[in-house]
Parts: sequence; C-alpha cells; structure tokens
Amino acid sequence: MRFTVERDLLADGVGWVARSLSTRPITPVLLGILIRAESAQLHLSAFDLEVSGRSQVEADVSEGGTVLVSGRLLVEIVRSLPNKPVEVRLDGSKVSVICGSARFTLPILTAGDYPTLPEMPAAAGSIAGDLFATAVSQVAVAAGRDDSLPVLTGVHVDIEKDRMTLAATDRYRLAVREVLWTNDRPDIAASALIRARTLFDAAKALHGTKTVTIGLSPTGGTEHLIGFAGEGRIMTSRMLDGTFPPYRHLLPSESSSVAVVEVATLMDAVRRVSVVTDKTVPLRLSFSGDALRLEAGTGEDAQATEEISINFEGDPINIAFNPTYLTDGLNALEESYVQLAFTASGKPAVLSGRTEKESGAENSYRYLLMPMRYPN
Amino acid sequence: MRVVIARCTVEYSGRLSARLEEATRLLMVKADGSVLIHSDGGSYKPLNWMSPPCTLREDEATWEVTNKAGERLLITLHEIFSDHAHELGIDPGLVKDGVEAQLQLLLSERPQVIGDGWTLVRREHMTAIGPVDLLVRDANGRHVAIEIKRRGEIDGVEQLTRYLDLLNRDPQLAPVRGILAAQEIKPQARVLAADRGIDCLILDYDALKGIDDGRPRLF
Repeated sequence: MRFTVERDLLADGVGWVARSLSTRPITPVLLGILIRAESAQLHLSAFDLEVSGRSQVEADVSEGGTVLVSGRLLVEIVRSLPNKPVEVRLDGSKVSVICGSARFTLPILTAGDYPTLPEMPAAAGSIAGDLFATAVSQVAVAAGRDDSLPVLTGVHVDIEKDRMTLAATDRYRLAVREVLWTNDRPDIAASALIRARTLFDAAKALHGTKTVTIGLSPTGGTEHLIGFAGEGRIMTSRMLDGTFPPYRHLLPSESSSVAVVEVATLMDAVRRVSVVTDKTVPLRLSFSGDALRLEAGTGEDAQATEEISINFEGDPINIAFNPTYLTDGLNALEESYVQLAFTASGKPAVLSGRTEKESGAENSYRYLLMPMRYPN
Repeated sequence: MRVVIARCTVEYSGRLSARLEEATRLLMVKADGSVLIHSDGGSYKPLNWMSPPCTLREDEATWEVTNKAGERLLITLHEIFSDHAHELGIDPGLVKDGVEAQLQLLLSERPQVIGDGWTLVRREHMTAIGPVDLLVRDANGRHVAIEIKRRGEIDGVEQLTRYLDLLNRDPQLAPVRGILAAQEIKPQARVLAADRGIDCLILDYDALKGIDDGRPRLF
C-alpha cells in the first residue's frame, strides 16, 4: 500500500472517524482506524460496536491495500503534521508516514478479526447541514447526563412527512425544535432516540455540509440504526432502547404574563448576579411593570441584585431558576430577543426567540424550564 | 505474558541484598519487561520483582534482570515445570466508581437527609489547606462542615479537625461544627470523632440515590 494525500483532507477524514473509536474496547482491534486505499480514494473507518464512522478522502494511490493502525496515534500524528502532502506507505509490518521533514513509523494491528461495519440504512430524507447542526445543538443542551436514566441521555427525533421534531429533556428542562426537511417518501412517519453526545458531535462536524442525508433502518428490523451521510462521510449509530417520555402536553398552551428582553442584556445580568452563589443555588427573578429584578444570595451570605428594563405584559410574577439552566436556554436561542412566558411561579416558563422586540415569537424552538423552590 | 513455574533461587542486589532460598515458585515476565516472583500464598504481592524499564538476559539456567539504577535480580533455575507465553493484548483498565465524588454530589443535592431544614452553602468550600467537601447550614442557620469518605478512618477525622480549626477562625462562619460522613466508619474513628466533638453519619449510597432530591421537575 502506498499513497500521497493532502494533509487537511487527511486530518478531516481521520477526525471524522476518530469519533467512533472505542475508548474501552472489548478487543484491541477496536482501537484501530482501518485505512483502505484504492483507485484514487482512501476509505477510513472506525467502529466501537455502537457507533461507526466512515470517510472517503481523495488521494494519489500508487499501490492499493488495507491496514489497521492505532487510531489515537494516527489522530495525534496527523494533527501535528505541517501543511504539506503526506506520503503513507506500508513497509513490511510497519506503516511509514512522511510529511515534509517529519517521518513516523507505526506498527500495524492485525486486521483479521476486525468487525464488519453496519451498512448505512436506507435514506429517508435530507436536511441542510447548518440547519441540522443548529437544531441539534439547541436541544442537546437539555439532555440528561445521568446514565441511570439512559432514555433521557438521548435526543428524540420525530419525523412526520416534511416536519422533523427534535426534543431532549433531563426532567428539569425540555428543549423542542421543529424543522422542515426534505422527505424522500411522501407519507413517512418515524421516530428515533439517539445518544445526545453522539448526535451533537456528528451534527457539529457536518455543519459545513450542504445536505445531510438521514437514513433510518425499517421499524421491526433486528437492528435499530440511524445513519447520517454527507460529502464522503458516513456515521451510523445504534438507537437507544426505551420509550422517550411523552412531552407535548408539558408545553403550556397559554400564559398569564409575557416578558421580552434582549438576550445579551439578560445573559450578562444573570452571569453577574450569580457570581455570589453556587451554580445550583436559585437565582430569583421578579417581573413587574417594565422592570426585571434579578437577585441571588440570602441571609448572611454575599448577595447581588440587578435591575434591567424589559417589555412586560400580564400579572407580575416572582420566580426562581437554576442559573446554569437559564443560561443554557438563553444560549440556545438564535434570535436577539427572548420571550419568557409564565403561567405561575411554581409552573414551568417557556423561553422562545424573537427577532425584534415587537415581532411575534418564533415557535420553531421552545425551551421549557422548571422553576426552583426557594425559602422566602 | 510469560508464565514460568520453576524450582529456583533468587538473589537481589541493589539498595540492599535479599535472597530467596531454593523453592518452587511462579515467575511472571510481562510484556512491559517487568519480572515478578510469586509464592503460593502469603501475600498478593510478589516476593521480589523488578519494575520496568529493565532488561532480562537469559542463559541456560540463569536469568539476569537489571535496571538502569544498577539493581540486579539473579534467578537460578534448577528445574522448569512449565513455561508458557500468551498474548493478552491491551487491557481496558480497572474502572472504579468515583464513590466519594458521587456521595458528595448526592448529599449536596439532598441536605435534608441530614436533618430537616438543612441547606447547602457550597460544595468544595475552599480553605487555605484544601477544600471542605460540603459546607451546609443546619435548621438554626449554624454552619456545619461535612467531610465525605467511602470509609471513615482516623485520617478523615484528623483532616476534618484541621478544617474546623481554620473555619472557626473566620468570624463570619464560626461556630462551625463537623460531621464525618461515610459508608462505613471504623470504631477508632468514631471514638476520636466523639472526643473532638465531631458527629458521625453513615451514608447509604443506594438509598441516597433513590431519594428524590426534592427539586421540582417537569414530570
């Protein structure tokens, strides 16, 4: 095997598959990245038995072949190389990587018992890479991190015709994003549950891709797989087992008061006021007239308050939030203004974006946040 | 991994001299180059060993293991009963649950477990000699420092005593009392804790995990 490849192309290809490298493999072959060189293409792959990654990279292949090398080492090497063409060749039982004046030799791993990667499931439709990345990052923030509740560590994807709804919740907040996608089958209806971390990483890497093809294995099959493909890169992931809790009824249909604030102003105030407390201690907000008062700290401890002017309609309300969760929600908004809709101080509030102070609320993204209790 | 069972004598010379008289033992030569000599019982540790990096030179009936510091392990093999080598591959490593960190997190979310009306002031409250696991306030608003251990031993009591000494110099906090919280607490540690006016609290990890932390949830 012998080929020459542009460093940046190789780095992109290796970076994509490295996401699927196993950290605690049951067999050492899963620590490897498989490189197959044939007819002007490199095919890179990695697999941890749950998530698989494949990428194709253009290369000048003078001799075809397949090798398995340590993934971690290949990633580190490629990352450190100067921006020059990279020559890779197999010499006996070693792989040489030569770039500029640098030269590496890596031992090859036995590829004999390397598992077969799952096929990309049949395409169900496609979506623009940047829209997909934004939508995923907006909901993934609300996913749970506690592995004792595995269903909540996932992002739920619900597809109905040309509408895709992404949702995640850790029981303290719920993020829901609706997007339009191009469905290949006119009457498609399907749902999937994917580990939030996996989906977030994949979507982020596909941000610059024009269209991302999404494949779903047919329901009732033995393996529940979802696949993402775009510009020579493919990722498949096994879906999480279990039923995602029904969440649509949690989104309140009406509100008793609505506040509109500039996102940046509110975020700065939240950051300043929560300096005096632990990140999990309630941040108290009082909305009335055209002002929002933020307070943190109690009793003999350090305290902070700030008052900002807002647009407010409805009944005055006092409410307390976990400052981290509030900041997460504000961060996830694409628009410059946030609308906060309340029903009562013990009931969840809904954050959504507004492009202008006076414009209507964008309902494509909603972040539902449960308030905290605090002693008066 | 090479495993040899043989009747051998072993001589070590280096920082001190040590000798193992002739007996049947297990010799392990690991892929990282280390050589370990085990007897059948007595301890889980080897009787003697050489840690890597070191070199093994084999003659017909003697092995000479040397390292850079000039230490030398001379193994004389009188009779070899078995000699096997296996490729073990890369070990995924031992996975330990971060019990103390988990206990700290669980207890910080549920200070009401210690007593009604108790509230969290801060996790990892910094002092000049290190962080106290939890600083909380009891129902009367008095500060309590909690040191969390998996097993409560004398060390834990000593550590908490030092923290309390420092914390009590702070007029904003004083008086601060202490609680040693652990999954199990040694009797000696209990006695010392009682002597120092420190309370002991047994934590049940599984029960703690099952208790609702009282934070309002969406569902």
